[in-house]
Amino acid sequence: MDKLLSLRFRGTSWHFGDDIDTDQIYPGKYLPLTDKSEMAKHAMEGTDRGEEFIKNVKPGDIIVAGKNFGCGSSREHAAIAIHGAGISLIIAQSFARIFHRNCINTALPVLELKEANEIQDGDILEVNIETGEIKDITQNKIYKAEPISELEKEILNAGGLLQYLKFMQG
Amino acid sequence: MTVIEKIFSRAANKKVKADDYVWVNLDLVAMRDFGGPNVVKEYKEHFGDAPVFDNKKVAITFDLHIPARDEKVAQNQQILRKFAKEHNIRLFDINTGVGQHILLENGLVKPWDVIIGTDSHMNLLGAVGAAGFGMGTTDIAAGLYRGKLWFKVPRTIKIIVDGILKYPLTAKDVALYILKNLSTSGALNRAIEFFGEAIIMMNLAERITLTSMVTEMSGDIGFIEPDEPIFEFLRGHNVTDLEPIKSDNNNEYEKVYEFDISNLRPQIACPHSPDNVTNVSDVAGRKVDQVFIGSCTNGRFEDLKVVARILEGKRINNGVRLIIVPATMEVAMAAEQAGLYRIFLESGAVVVNPGCSLCTTGHPGILAPGEVMVSTSNRNFIGKLGKGAEVYLASPATAAATALQGVITSPMEL
Repeated sequence: MDKLLSLRFRGTSWHFGDDIDTDQIYPGKYLPLTDKSEMAKHAMEGTDRGEEFIKNVKPGDIIVAGKNFGCGSSREHAAIAIHGAGISLIIAQSFARIFHRNCINTALPVLELKEANEIQDGDILEVNIETGEIKDITQNKIYKAEPISELEKEILNAGGLLQYLKFMQG
Repeated sequence: MTVIEKIFSRAANKKVKADDYVWVNLDLVAMRDFGGPNVVKEYKEHFGDAPVFDNKKVAITFDLHIPARDEKVAQNQQILRKFAKEHNIRLFDINTGVGQHILLENGLVKPWDVIIGTDSHMNLLGAVGAAGFGMGTTDIAAGLYRGKLWFKVPRTIKIIVDGILKYPLTAKDVALYILKNLSTSGALNRAIEFFGEAIIMMNLAERITLTSMVTEMSGDIGFIEPDEPIFEFLRGHNVTDLEPIKSDNNNEYEKVYEFDISNLRPQIACPHSPDNVTNVSDVAGRKVDQVFIGSCTNGRFEDLKVVARILEGKRINNGVRLIIVPATMEVAMAAEQAGLYRIFLESGAVVVNPGCSLCTTGHPGILAPGEVMVSTSNRNFIGKLGKGAEVYLASPATAAATALQGVITSPMEL
């Protein structure tokens, strides 16, 4: 049974920069893997803090990144690996189209926040994805992210695109 | 209306505009030897043995690891061959070539079509006025099952390219020059419509080069209004019921860029980003270990002809390895008939079977740490072709000139 989407998140932020591409999120040499738990072991491995991430990431943690997160090849492995590693939510200044879709379709929420770079690595965040409100507990700041669309919310709520299609009319 | 608004309005049976979220009917769903096996897995997990939405509108292409390089890849290909048989789907096996090009050469693409596939360069189909989108496995599985998919209608940027493209300048130099100006996020989640003298004069191969690199600008899709030579190509490849698609070319564009290439010199993208672009002459003399000519961006017959023109009767430099890969078997046959294979082989090149080849790790020919390659491909992300390696992106002309000299060389200096 897929768990229905939770609207509130609390987690520690992992800061990444601009233009983190899918080769960094999930290196091409692991593309033949199809087992999701195996894929999760290589999340963010190609970034400059890959080892640190894989060793220390905890369930519920939140990735906070700059612009164009997830650019590059269309591999869905990237979204699946991040989700599998325990990341509950990604906040970025902007996302590459395919990566953004892959996240929504696999029920990993994403929020766009112009001020994402103000959030520091390791900050504790409380996020309500329905209102788009992001509380930076560590810095005692509140941000308002772009609201996600109704259509995307429905897909997230169904537990992903394929689950959604089973109930979709027309 | 913009071209993408027109196409999505028709495919959604209602009038849509930029920023709308909409369900769109699909004309073709494609998958390939990587990505494809995960699609099948997802499909079976969620929909079991349910038939695909329309088996005539589905195609499987093998282009990445062909022939199978190891047991895992062989198993993945086996999964797809079995799925194709079960669902009576067309499968283009290891003897065909790069997926999007195979779709184009087999009458599966025409203007107005909405096409999705497991390849981030599906958008090169914009070269014939079709809306191609690279998608993840879940999107493809969804498309296979329902024949429709959700989209956010992208806003459109207009790019005008004036001036005349003249040998040894190519569409690749234009694409890199635009990338230099827009950056790798300059067209993020946008459609592009291309206009101008230089664009109108481009043949299909050149249009493919340009539209394929819209991916590197983070654009969704780049359109060039198809003209008679494009229609001629499509008709010659079994496309019937062709319908022109026109750009309104009004003021609905979010942004307009205007470039003049009259004085443009050959361009090159330095490590490790496709927008780290400069004149080839600025990095000329840099020692190179390997040159790759091919890919969905620069693997067509016209590209190979430029290479042959430079290599004919000559030997490549002793210190460099040259790998040439035609995009498709049709291209390979044309190259063979035109005598290009002899020129390539006599020059000292390795000519590989048609496919994607050196666009990703895991393919024969990847680099050792510290090695330098000039590639006609579309990406030079760090580590993509071997840890510690450096990749420069350039035109087939620059790549061939570099192979001859063993150091980065502008084709204008030959």
